[in-house]
Amino acid sequence: MARITLQGITKTYGQEVVAVDAVDLEIRDGEFMVLLGPSGCGKSTTLRMIAGLEEISAGEIRIDGRVVNEVDPADRDLAVVFQNYALYPHMTVSGNLSFGLRLRGVDASEIERRINVTATMLGIEGLLGRRPRELSGGQQQRVALGRALVREPVAFLFDEPLSNLDAKLRSAMRTELIKIHRDLGRTILHVTHDQVEAMTMGERICIMRDGRVVQTGPPLEVYRRPVDTFVAGFLASPPMNLLNARIAGESGALVVDLSPVRLPVLSDREEALAPGRDSAITFGIRPEDLHAEPVPRNAAPLDVEVVAVEALGPEVVLIAALPGGEEISARLGRDFSAPPGSGVRLYADLERVHFFDAGSGRALGEK
Amino acid sequence: MTGADAHTLARRDRRFGYLLTAPGLAALMLVITFPLLFALFTSFYDYTLLNPRHDDFIGGENYLEAWEEEYLAGSFWVTLKFVLASVVIEFVIGFSVALALHAVNRFKTVYYLILLAPLLINPVVVGLLWRMLLHAELGIANYVIGLFGISRVNWLGDIGVAFWTVVLVDIWHQVSFMAILLLAGLAALPREPYEAARMDGASAFRCFLHITLPLMRPVIMVALLLRLIFAIKTFDIIFIMTKGGPGTSTDLVSYFIYRAAFFGLDIGRASAMSVGLLVIVLALTTYLFRYMRSLR
Repeated sequence: MARITLQGITKTYGQEVVAVDAVDLEIRDGEFMVLLGPSGCGKSTTLRMIAGLEEISAGEIRIDGRVVNEVDPADRDLAVVFQNYALYPHMTVSGNLSFGLRLRGVDASEIERRINVTATMLGIEGLLGRRPRELSGGQQQRVALGRALVREPVAFLFDEPLSNLDAKLRSAMRTELIKIHRDLGRTILHVTHDQVEAMTMGERICIMRDGRVVQTGPPLEVYRRPVDTFVAGFLASPPMNLLNARIAGESGALVVDLSPVRLPVLSDREEALAPGRDSAITFGIRPEDLHAEPVPRNAAPLDVEVVAVEALGPEVVLIAALPGGEEISARLGRDFSAPPGSGVRLYADLERVHFFDAGSGRALGEK
Repeated sequence: MTGADAHTLARRDRRFGYLLTAPGLAALMLVITFPLLFALFTSFYDYTLLNPRHDDFIGGENYLEAWEEEYLAGSFWVTLKFVLASVVIEFVIGFSVALALHAVNRFKTVYYLILLAPLLINPVVVGLLWRMLLHAELGIANYVIGLFGISRVNWLGDIGVAFWTVVLVDIWHQVSFMAILLLAGLAALPREPYEAARMDGASAFRCFLHITLPLMRPVIMVALLLRLIFAIKTFDIIFIMTKGGPGTSTDLVSYFIYRAAFFGLDIGRASAMSVGLLVIVLALTTYLFRYMRSLR
């Protein structure tokens, strides 16, 4: 059990390159935290600094209050699962699992007990005598996971462990990792660039960009209230529609001017937007908040021209052009169809729209 | 395109391929296949430089004579010692140098250049160079060790020393080949197993034993086999430095065969012996190719 606290963690290479820039993050005891971001955002480097595989240029890492900056990786009592599995090539599965325990002087009967428990949990009992090259990718991944589990460390660090697996296996392993977390209740830091993994696995997710933390919170909260256009555009697929707009109109009757289309602003959002009147903003609406039929609550019609219709089976993604020429996407019911070039009326759910500062991209007037 | 069309196209491609390789193949026939077959043919005749005609067919007598030749057996023994000593020492030094260079980050190019220099020198030049450096009276080697009060060594003339001198010169010349091949192997190793071992608390020695060695096994095998094949054929430095002497202490098989042909003038018998040597080298090479194919 462990609480991991990062305080101003920074990693620089040479004089110029700042890979991780003053990251503050608290991973609570027993929490499943997901570190999410595009490649090169510094998330893996952050994990490697926690593991002790990378030196820390500035800041402090604490595990249960103890500063571990200078502690040897082996003595931090953390286990890492690597993207490429990193198994010991000439050892059997059983040898791979026991290696760390043997080095730590755990006695033989205890090692055997732990290997049996772990192998049963992961369904690899039948593979214990095999060598890594005789295993499939999925099996190797299980062994790599097992090697972390047998150690019974205070926390697990997962460095994109699922990204080398095929889609079906990945989704099965997602469920399995969630189950393991529930059973063991240990702290887990899971690094990924896959937003589906983040949304489904994390109790909280921390989104990073260019070495900095952009937003931290429970997945749905981050999804509903993105702090800026980066988070809004990164989470979910297709991502939120982000359109250039202006706030116009009189107080009490503000409108979003998407020239030539105008959408009313609900009164409870006006207060935050009033100072920005007549200035440029970014208007955001998620594809699922555009509907083909009028919704019971506050909705505004939006006439668009069909560009393409992507029938995915359970739903249809409509790509359409606004009168001003900007393209938007909408997730519609599976029965929707319309020929390209035809006109369609969509209804925008005004209670679920987002406003961002056009310059900084920061959210405006979030409830 | 129908199957028949594809078939014709493939055949035309193949014919064009033969056409392109024909000049090269013809040259190879002339300088390799012909001498090879000539030697094989000659080995069954009593063909000497005094009577250079294929008119006296003697069957396997040349082979039988070679088999019973006491000096050839001795020469094989010297060759075996030479090959084992040079390849093993080259491997140990080469691997140590490769490991050390692998850990170095700065001035890598400089080290590479220094390492590559001996390999770029022609073996005959290497032999001449060292013959001068190691000259018993005039050589700089004896002068330098003299400064430390060590008495002169007759590097190439002493029956107990000459063999090791030749081994050392061969190592000096060939060790970089080993080092560079192994270094390339080390550079291609994955980083993660080492990090996993660090998390598991493994020492550098254990990492070497449990990760580096097993992962490097294919590269090590190829490096050893290649050097083995080259070492068995060693001729130039012996020819330049010792001419097989003193006595027969550095008389490697290839030089023994050379002597049988051009001093003994017995081309038939020399051919029979070279065919024997060829079979050994061919067997090793076949094994090497099989091994390399099994890696894929």
